[in-house]
Amino acid sequence: MTVVAEPALGDLHTVVEEVWSTFLADGNPILPADGPSEDLHWTAAITVTGEWEAQISVILSEAAARGVGATMLAIDDEACSLADVRDALGELVNIVGGNVKSLMPGPSVLSLPLVGHGDITPTSDLTPVRRLDLAWRGEPVVVVVHVPSQGSSSTATAT
Amino acid sequence: MKILVVDDSRVMRQIVIRTLRQSGHAGHDIVEAENGRMAFDMITAEAPDLVLSDWNMPEMTGIDLLGALRGAGIGVPFGFVTSEGSPAMREQAEAAGASFLVAKPFTAETFDEVLTPLLGAAR
Repeated sequence: MTVVAEPALGDLHTVVEEVWSTFLADGNPILPADGPSEDLHWTAAITVTGEWEAQISVILSEAAARGVGATMLAIDDEACSLADVRDALGELVNIVGGNVKSLMPGPSVLSLPLVGHGDITPTSDLTPVRRLDLAWRGEPVVVVVHVPSQGSSSTATAT
Repeated sequence: MKILVVDDSRVMRQIVIRTLRQSGHAGHDIVEAENGRMAFDMITAEAPDLVLSDWNMPEMTGIDLLGALRGAGIGVPFGFVTSEGSPAMREQAEAAGASFLVAKPFTAETFDEVLTPLLGAAR
């Protein structure tokens, strides 16, 4: 039986802050944003299937995405290639997703990450239940957790 | 010593190698593989002294790699560096013969704690 539940918003925030303070510590903390941003160009998503089902997404601006890649590789933003950005964002959502999964009932399985320049829309009946609007270096970073509204399985496609 | 770092993310392999250095365990011969299948071939060919492996990878997962190694009678010390650190996964890792499981995100201090018994004190 699939459990339809969501992580506490505070727990999700703690996971994201821990990832940032460990792997993205460039002197700029990740802070609550003043409000939702439309300057969002990259999406990294991962799905959890099993006892708990969800899609977890990290959505960022162009500058934030490049900054994540460069900081994780310890190189200048200008030296960060498109492949580096894709790799870094995939690893970022893998870590966030893995830590969120560990907070929820199991057993469940984490998928491989999907990274797209644009939106990644859940194709099945998934409902956003948690959303964090954050800012890093003044750039938007959004974390969203979708869960099935009727216990349906979750998949995602890049659009 | 020779250490094999296994992760499908080049970025994460770089972070693991950097953290090895920051934890005081620099100076080892580092080799890399991007999935379990490639790692198995490298282990049989190069006989590393330690394997640091991700769990969730394409081609062959880390837990399948560990099972294949032990099934082939290869007892190389093996530690997971993975995004999931639930008690159930730690139990599964230990039962399969892993020396430790480090959950991402990790610090240099965490690396030192698990590596010192295997590699000796940090330099």
